[in-house]
Amino acid sequence: MRRKRAVPNTIAVLVSLVVIFPVYWMFATALKEPGRILSATPEFLPWPLSLENFRTALTHGPFLHYVRNSLLVSVSTVLIALIVALGASIALARFRFLGRRAFLVGLVLVQMVPGSAMVIPLYLMLRSVGAIDFVPGLIVTYMTFVLPFTIWTLRGFVAGIPLELEEAAMVDGCGRFGAFWHIQLPLLAPGIVATSIFAFISAWDDYLFAYVFLKSQNNYTLPVWLVSFQTSDGIDNGATIAASAIFSLPVLIVFLLIQRRLVGGMTAGAVKG
Amino acid sequence: MTSLTQATASVTPPRTDLAVRGSRLARLTPYGLIGPAVIAFAAVLGYPLVRLIWLSLQDFGPRSLFTGEAPFVGVDNFTRVLGDSDFWFTLLRTLIVSVTCVGGLMVIGFLLAALLMQVSAWARVLLSVCLVLVWAMPMVSATMIWRWLFEPQYGVLNWVITRAGILGDFSAHDWFSSPGQALFLIIALIVWKGLPFVALTLYAAMGQIPGDLYEAAALDGAGRWSVARHVTMPILGPVLAVLVLLEVIWSVNSFTPIWVLTQGGPDGGTTTLGVYSYLEAFTRNDYSGGAAIAIITVLLLAVLSVLYVRRLFAQDEAIA
Repeated sequence: MRRKRAVPNTIAVLVSLVVIFPVYWMFATALKEPGRILSATPEFLPWPLSLENFRTALTHGPFLHYVRNSLLVSVSTVLIALIVALGASIALARFRFLGRRAFLVGLVLVQMVPGSAMVIPLYLMLRSVGAIDFVPGLIVTYMTFVLPFTIWTLRGFVAGIPLELEEAAMVDGCGRFGAFWHIQLPLLAPGIVATSIFAFISAWDDYLFAYVFLKSQNNYTLPVWLVSFQTSDGIDNGATIAASAIFSLPVLIVFLLIQRRLVGGMTAGAVKG
Repeated sequence: MTSLTQATASVTPPRTDLAVRGSRLARLTPYGLIGPAVIAFAAVLGYPLVRLIWLSLQDFGPRSLFTGEAPFVGVDNFTRVLGDSDFWFTLLRTLIVSVTCVGGLMVIGFLLAALLMQVSAWARVLLSVCLVLVWAMPMVSATMIWRWLFEPQYGVLNWVITRAGILGDFSAHDWFSSPGQALFLIIALIVWKGLPFVALTLYAAMGQIPGDLYEAAALDGAGRWSVARHVTMPILGPVLAVLVLLEVIWSVNSFTPIWVLTQGGPDGGTTTLGVYSYLEAFTRNDYSGGAAIAIITVLLLAVLSVLYVRRLFAQDEAIA
C-alpha cells in the first residue's frame, strides 16, 4: 500500500507547488526589500525580510478610508441580505403559499443573469436618483446577486432542520415565534454564518460594480483602489503586490479556518443530483 | 459550493402540517415573511431587467443621460449590433475563450479530483489547502499577481520559461502586445482561479461513490479505464453537467480578469461579450447598444442551457 501511494503523493506535492506558486509569489514579493524586487535573476526567497512595501502601500493615500468604504458596503450588504433572506427562506422551506413555486423558479433563473448585463440598467437607475459615486448606492447593486443566492442557500439550511423539533416546542407551549427563537434560530446559526461569509466575500471582492459606480477616488473600495494603485513615481510593483496581499489576507485566513467544513460541505451539496 | 447546491438541490414542496391548520393570521404569515424579498427583487432585479429590455429598444445616448428622453427605435439596436462584424468576431472569441476555459477546467479538475482520491491523508490535506487558498484569492488580487508574474522585464515566469529553454528567450517578452498571447494568459488565469471549485466539487462527488461498485468492477476484471468509463463517469454525470453549465456562464461573462489585464486590447483583440457590452455602454456612451449586446448574450446562454439540459434528459431517458 505504501509504495503504491508514493507516485500519486509525489505528483500531489508537485501539483500543490505549481498551484500555490502565484499566492506564494505574492507574499514573497511583498516581503522583499524594495530594492531586491526588480532583479534580472529572481530571488525565490524573500530574504532579508522587509515590511517596507507594506509601509509604502499603507501610507500612500488614505488606505484606512478605503478599508472603511469596503467594510461599510460589505457589512451592510450582509446584514440587509440576511434580514430579507431569513424570512423568505423560512417561508419557502416551511409554508405552502400562492406563488411559492413561481418564486423558486424565478430565484434560479435570476441567478443566470450575469452582472455585466445588470450593470447598465442599474447605472441608469442609480443615476436618475443621484446615487452614482455614492458608496451606499453600491449596496443596492450587490443585492442583485447576493440576495438570490442567500435566500437559496438559507432555504436549504432551514429545510434541513427537522420539523418535529418545532412541533415539539409548540406542543410544549412555545408559540410559533418562540419555537423559531429557541429552536430554529440556534440550529440555523451555522447556516447563517456560512451564508454571511459568502455574501461578505462576494461584496468584498467585487470589482465590476465598484469600478462602474464609484467615480471619485475618495469613494473607492479596496478593489478599485488596488487596480488604480500607483505611487507618485509610477507603478511600484512591490507596493502594488503588498497592497494585493493586504486585500487578500482576510479572505485567505477565513477560507483556511473553514477549510475543513468547506470541503465537507461540498460533499453534502454534490450528491443531491 | 453554494451555486452547485443551488443548482442540484431538489425543489420538493415542504411538509406543511404546521401551516395548514391555524388561523387566518397563520395563513398570512408566509406572505409577510416573503414580502420584503419580493419587494427587494422587484426593485433590484425586476425593474432593472425590464429597464434593460426597454433600453435595448430605445436610442439612449449621452444626451439622454441629461434630458432623460430617448426615442423608441424598435429592434434597430439589434440589427445594428448583429450587422457589425466586430460583434461576430467578439462572439467567436468569446466562444474560443469559453470552450478552452471550460475544457481545461473540467479535464484538469477531474484529474486533480482523481489524484485527491488516491493520495495519502497528508498529501490530500496539502493539496486541498493549496486549492482552498487559490479559491479564496480575490479575483482582483489574482489579476494583479498575474500581471506581475508575466511582467516583461522582471516577471518570474518569463525567467522560468527562458530557463526551461523550450520556447526560446522570453527574458523581455511582452505577453500583452499580442492578442493571442494575452488571451492565453487570461484563459490561464480563469482556469487557475476556477480550478479549486471544480476539483473539490468533483472530489466530493467521487467520495460519494460506494466502494462496492469498484470492488464489483474489479471482480469482473475491469481495468482502470473501463472503471472510469463505466462506473465513475455515469455516476458523476449530473455533477459534471451542472459544473459545465456554470463554468460556461461564468467564463462568458468574466469581466475583471480581462478588464484589469488588457482592457479588452490590444486593438480589441481580447474583448469578449461581457467586456464588449461594457465598452459599448460606458466608453462609447451607447447605452442602448450595450443593452442589446447584454440581452443577446443572456439569450444565447439561455438557449444553450435549455438545449443542453434537454439533451441531458434525453440521454437519461435513453439509458432508462
